[in-house]
Amino acid sequence: MNGYGGSVLRVNLSTGQIQKQPTPQDVARDFLGGRGFGIYFLTKEVPPKADPFGQENKMIISSGPFSGLMIPGAGKCDWTTKSPLTGGYASASLGGHFTAELKYAGLDSIILEGISPKPVYLFIDDNQVELRDASHLWGKGSITVEKELKEQYGEEYQIATIGPAGENGVLFAHINHDYGRQAGRGGVGAVLGTKKVKAIVLHGTKSIPVADLPAYRQAGINLFKACKDAEILKEWQSYGTTMVVSWCDEVGALPTRNFTAGSFEDGKNLYGPVMRKTIVVSDKGCFACPSPCGKYSHTRRYNTYVEGPEYETIGMLGSDLGLGNIEDVAQANLLCDDLGIDTISTGGVIAWAMECFERGIFTKKDTDGLELKFGNAQAVFALIEKIARKDGFGALLAEGVKRASQKTGQGSEKFAIHVKGMEQSAYATHNATAMLLAYMTCDVGAHHNRAWAITYDIQVGREKVTTEKVARVIWLQNFRPMFDVLGACRLQWVELSIDRDLYLPALQAITGIPRSWKDLETVGERIWNLTRLYWIREIDGFGREWDLPAPRFYEDAPKTGATAGQITRFEDVQKLLDYYYEQRGWSKNGIPTPETIARLNLEQFVY
Amino acid sequence: MAAILKLFGILKKYIQGADQIMVPANITVRQAITTLHIPPEIVALVVVNGNQQSKEYIIQNDDEIKLLAIMGGGR
Repeated sequence: MNGYGGSVLRVNLSTGQIQKQPTPQDVARDFLGGRGFGIYFLTKEVPPKADPFGQENKMIISSGPFSGLMIPGAGKCDWTTKSPLTGGYASASLGGHFTAELKYAGLDSIILEGISPKPVYLFIDDNQVELRDASHLWGKGSITVEKELKEQYGEEYQIATIGPAGENGVLFAHINHDYGRQAGRGGVGAVLGTKKVKAIVLHGTKSIPVADLPAYRQAGINLFKACKDAEILKEWQSYGTTMVVSWCDEVGALPTRNFTAGSFEDGKNLYGPVMRKTIVVSDKGCFACPSPCGKYSHTRRYNTYVEGPEYETIGMLGSDLGLGNIEDVAQANLLCDDLGIDTISTGGVIAWAMECFERGIFTKKDTDGLELKFGNAQAVFALIEKIARKDGFGALLAEGVKRASQKTGQGSEKFAIHVKGMEQSAYATHNATAMLLAYMTCDVGAHHNRAWAITYDIQVGREKVTTEKVARVIWLQNFRPMFDVLGACRLQWVELSIDRDLYLPALQAITGIPRSWKDLETVGERIWNLTRLYWIREIDGFGREWDLPAPRFYEDAPKTGATAGQITRFEDVQKLLDYYYEQRGWSKNGIPTPETIARLNLEQFVY
Repeated sequence: MAAILKLFGILKKYIQGADQIMVPANITVRQAITTLHIPPEIVALVVVNGNQQSKEYIIQNDDEIKLLAIMGGGR
C-alpha cells in the first residue's frame, strides 16, 4: 500500500505473543493514519468501560502516510489509549524521529495489549521483534534510560521511554523521546507503566513505497522551498514557540498564578529573547524539519541541560506558578522530563495547590512542610519529585487537579482549572471566547492544539460570541488535527503560513489517491465525531455539562493585567455551546444526531 | 532621521498593500504602529535589526524594523 509501512504490529504483553497483520486498506481510506488509526482501533478493540489500567486497555502507536518521507516535519507519531486521567479519549502527539523509524521498520501501528508480568522493553529492528527484560532500567529517569539504550544499541536506534512517574501510575505521566520530546497529555505514560513497558527501542531500514516518485520529489521540494521562503522563518527559528510569550503577556493570555490573571509582572524575564540570550545553546528539530522550534538550553544556576522550555511550559511552570526566572522554569522542565510527567498538567495541579495554600486550605502540615507560595521555585522542584513518586502530599496531586480538588473540597473545585479532567494548557481565556470554546470542546480535555483560536479572537474581537467564531473553531478542529492523522507537524502551516494546498500533490504522489481538502476535512470531522462517540460510550451521563469550562473564566475577572475586569458571561458560555452543537449536528446535550452519524458513515461505532 | 518599517502578512493592508514605509526616529514602535492605525494587539513580533524588541523600543536612525502579525494558521 503506497505511503504506508504495510503492517500493524500486535504485541500481547500478557502472553508474549507477537504478530503482524496487514494494515487494513478500508481503514486507511476512511481514517488515513495517525490519530485516525488510533481512535479506530481504540473504539473497535477496547471494550466499553474498560479499566484504563486493566488488561483490556491498549496502547495504539501510529504513524501516518507522510511520516518518514520528505515532507516538512514528517516526524509526528500518535499515541492513543483510554485516558486514566479523564476516563475518556487520550491522544498524544510525539515529535522527534520515532515515527520515521516506525515506517522504516515496515509498521504503521504498534498495538500493545495486556499487561506484562515483569518490566520489559519492546525491541524492534526491522523484522526482529522481541520483548526484552527491563528490570535493570526500572526506576530510572527517562533521560538516563534513553542514554543507556542509545549507548547499548547505537545512535540510529530511536527510543521512547517512561520515567518513574509512569511506573508509579501518576495520572498525567508522559512518554519521553529524543531527550526532550514528549507524547505528553492524558496519562499515556501511566498506561505504558501499568503495562510494565519501560521503553520501546526502534530501528528500521526498509523503503516506504511511493506511487509516483518524481511527483513526490517535486511536491516535497515545493513544500520545503515554501518554508525556506517564509517571511517569518528566521525569527521563528530564533525563538520557536517562545516567540509568543511576550504577545500573550501583552494581550492577557499568559496564565498567571493559577489563571487569576493573564499578564505577569515578571513576564519580561520569560520572553523569547531573554531565554535565547541567557540559556539557549542550540536549535533542535524533529525529523525532516526545515524550521526547528526546539531550543536546547543550559542553566548556569543548576548546571543542567534541557530541551526547552517551550511556550506551554513557560506558561504553566513559569507565570502560572509565579516563577519569573527562566532558569528556574528550565530546571522544573528538566525534572518533569526525566521523572516522566507532563509539564502542562504538572503546572496546573501545582498552581491549584499553591492557591489552596495561599487561601489557607492547605498548611505546611498538609504539604509535608513545603512553603507552597507562588514564586517559590525550591518548593516547585520538591513537589515535582513528590508527585512523580507519589510521595506524601504529592500522591494527592498525582491524581490530577479534578480528583485532587474533589477530595479536598472547601470550594477548591471552583479554581481547579480543567475541562473533562484535563488541566488547561497555557492560554488564559477570561476574555477570548473562541479559545475558550476550543478548550471546552477539545476531544481530549482542555488542550490547545486542536484549535489554536486565540489569535482569531484578537483579530475579530475577543469578546464577540458569533456563529462565525464558532464556525472557525469547528473548522480548525476538523482541519488542524489532520496533521496528526497524516503524521506531519502542523507548525509549518500554522507559523510559517505556507499554503496548505502544497500538501495535496504530495499526498497524491505518495499514496496514488487524489484527495481534496474538502474530502480530508470530512475525514477530520469523522474522527472528531468518533472521539465524541467514544466519550459518550465510556462515561454514563456524558453531555453538555462536560463541556463547561472552569468557573474562573466566567466568575473571577482578573484584577490585574491586560484583561483586568474582563470576563465571559455564563450566558455567553451557554450560547457558544448552543451554536457549536447546532453547527456540529449534535443535540442540545452535545450528542451527535443519527443524521450526523449516518452522514459520516459512523453507524458501525454506535452502541 | 528615519527608519524603515517592514510589514508582513495581514499588516500590509494598513499601508495599502505595500511592503514597507519610512517612519521617523525617536518615537516608540508602539507610537509608529498607532500612527498607521494598526491595532497593537495584532502585532505579535517586533524585530529590530534582527533582534526581537518590545513595542516600547525607541526607533533609532537607519533602523530596519520588521512587524509580524499574529499567525495561527489559515489567515
